[in-house]
Amino acid sequence: MSPRANVKAEAVRIRLFIAGESPNSVAAQRNLQSLLKANPSLSAELEVVDVLKDPELGLRANVLVTPMLVKSVPRGERRIIGNLNDTGALMSLLGLKSER
Amino acid sequence: MKSSIRGRGKDAIWRAGTGIAGFDEIVAGGLPGGRVTVVLGDAGSGKTIFGMQALVAGARDFGEPGILVAFEERAQQVFTNLDGFAWKGNASNRAQIGVIDAQLSQTVVHGGDFDIIGLLSMLDAKSKAMRAKRVLFDGLDVFLANLPEPSHARREVFRLREWLQDSGMTVIITAKTEPNDVRPVREYEFLPFMADCVVTLQHRVVGGTALRFLRVAKYRGAEHSANEVPFSIGKDGIEVAATNATTDLRHAVFSERVSTGVKRLDVMLAGGYYRGSSTLISGVPGTAKTTLAAAFASAASRRRERTLLVSFDESPDQIVRNVASVGISLAPHVKEGILKVSSLRSRGAGPEAHVARIRALLREHRAKNLVIDPISALAQSPDDNVAEEAAIQILDMAKSQGITSVSTSLMGNKAAFSEETPIGISTVADTWMHLTYVNQGGERNRALTIIKSRGTGHSSQVRELILAATGVTLADVYSVGGEVLMGTLRWQREDEGRRAHERAARDAGLHEREAELALAETEARARVIAGERAVREATLDRIRVSRREELEQAAAKVRELRGRRGADGPPSERAKKVRRRSS
Repeated sequence: MSPRANVKAEAVRIRLFIAGESPNSVAAQRNLQSLLKANPSLSAELEVVDVLKDPELGLRANVLVTPMLVKSVPRGERRIIGNLNDTGALMSLLGLKSER
Repeated sequence: MKSSIRGRGKDAIWRAGTGIAGFDEIVAGGLPGGRVTVVLGDAGSGKTIFGMQALVAGARDFGEPGILVAFEERAQQVFTNLDGFAWKGNASNRAQIGVIDAQLSQTVVHGGDFDIIGLLSMLDAKSKAMRAKRVLFDGLDVFLANLPEPSHARREVFRLREWLQDSGMTVIITAKTEPNDVRPVREYEFLPFMADCVVTLQHRVVGGTALRFLRVAKYRGAEHSANEVPFSIGKDGIEVAATNATTDLRHAVFSERVSTGVKRLDVMLAGGYYRGSSTLISGVPGTAKTTLAAAFASAASRRRERTLLVSFDESPDQIVRNVASVGISLAPHVKEGILKVSSLRSRGAGPEAHVARIRALLREHRAKNLVIDPISALAQSPDDNVAEEAAIQILDMAKSQGITSVSTSLMGNKAAFSEETPIGISTVADTWMHLTYVNQGGERNRALTIIKSRGTGHSSQVRELILAATGVTLADVYSVGGEVLMGTLRWQREDEGRRAHERAARDAGLHEREAELALAETEARARVIAGERAVREATLDRIRVSRREELEQAAAKVRELRGRRGADGPPSERAKKVRRRSS
């Protein structure tokens, strides 16, 4: 269905659901940003949703626990829960090779 | 109408009714309003049903919309599971119950610590939009188990509690316990401490029968019964045996009497059973307990009162046919629909399930009278206490609804139902009649004794119960030398009396006839004598007449002779001389 050549060209669409300034939410944002920075080859469309400000969006996306990162494109939706301290899990979700 | 009992002050405790039959009575009205209740129980113990019932009752009866936060199963699945219950939210109730699916799918990747803050903000938004007053967190332990560090569970729970307190909503949190235990899974032992009310549900299988128990382990700031009470899950959801309730028994008291179906028994009971009372008929097998109970059902049906007859392990047809043989005709009443005969299986279901079934039947049939034959079938349960509790619950339930109940109890199988025990259902029953066999003269006869009858001056004499094709009657018994005579002996005794009477009557007749005869004879004799007398008188007359004629002839002859010779003086002078001599 999807040739490999296209995969690299397609941008990764990520939504990060956070809850205000709570420690886990702050940590998740920080972890994601630093990972993106460390991997400039990855083209990503990132949207941060604060469910404290916009709970409806969270409900609609069926995100109940924060922080949660939802990757929707490519290859279907995948979710990762938590403050993203586990970079290995995040990298594998984003299709990046782990450095370990 | 129903309403939550609210205090006026902000911090005053008010109760959020759960709509769970019997439970609200135990906790004096309901769960602590605006506070947190934790419901603990093993898998399959009925936690979700408890929570959902309270949620539905809030929306339906108290105008308090609610939200289900489903951690364990999808909310849709929760509703599907409730399909079997009568109270399952209909369309309008469903609109009053919001759902938040909060289960973490198996495919979600764990990438570090997370918290409940996001959930709470969404819950906040939803509850404001819905004006929700109640919230159910179903399976909070499932959520907590996903936390990467067990120690974080406590943090999240206290975060939750803080938010809930601010929200003012009435909260129910369900969580699993260790199997066969009432304590939460060890990691969440702190859960009961954060709650204002703790309810534990237990599900024990004893001898192959599932028994359920509920206990209010904690109720902050309020008196409550901490006893374990059996409960059942029936068509109406959870139903709790509320006999341990701290509230008073408030049954309407009736002064009206209803017929027992046996005239003589009505007389013995000063008119019959009291309406709304409970009667227990105990006895060994074959003493006509069923017949007596059926007589009541028949009489009630004839009064045009809706009646429910619940029998165990005997089909409705069988019962109708059996009592027909002693002149109790139930079939027309059944056909008419005024009498409903239902058969339950004593084995298989637990006592509390029977209670729920009977409760539902009573409601469906709108019964005013209830017959349970035999209530001791509940004692098939391996747990005597539960059986007794269930039996008491049934009598209590009937009484509280003004339903007149007559239950039979088979003696000799379980101690709880025996005559010897002072406790048991016999203490709850208002009237207790005991049927026995009396062996006399090579015969077994049925004897009925009224052991007690509250508020009734009743005969304490034993009566013989007689079953005939024409019906049931009671017979006076002969008491001879302190022994009561029945059956043939009684009949013989009655017969002897009858014969003595007849003999006396016969004798009297004979004497009369003899006297009559004697009189007649005398009269006859009198007639004969009178005849003789007439004859003799006639003879005498004849003699006299002929003598006078003879004398006259003789005198005539003398005069003739004197006349011929010339008489020497008149005869009158000579007559004078004779008279002088004689004076």
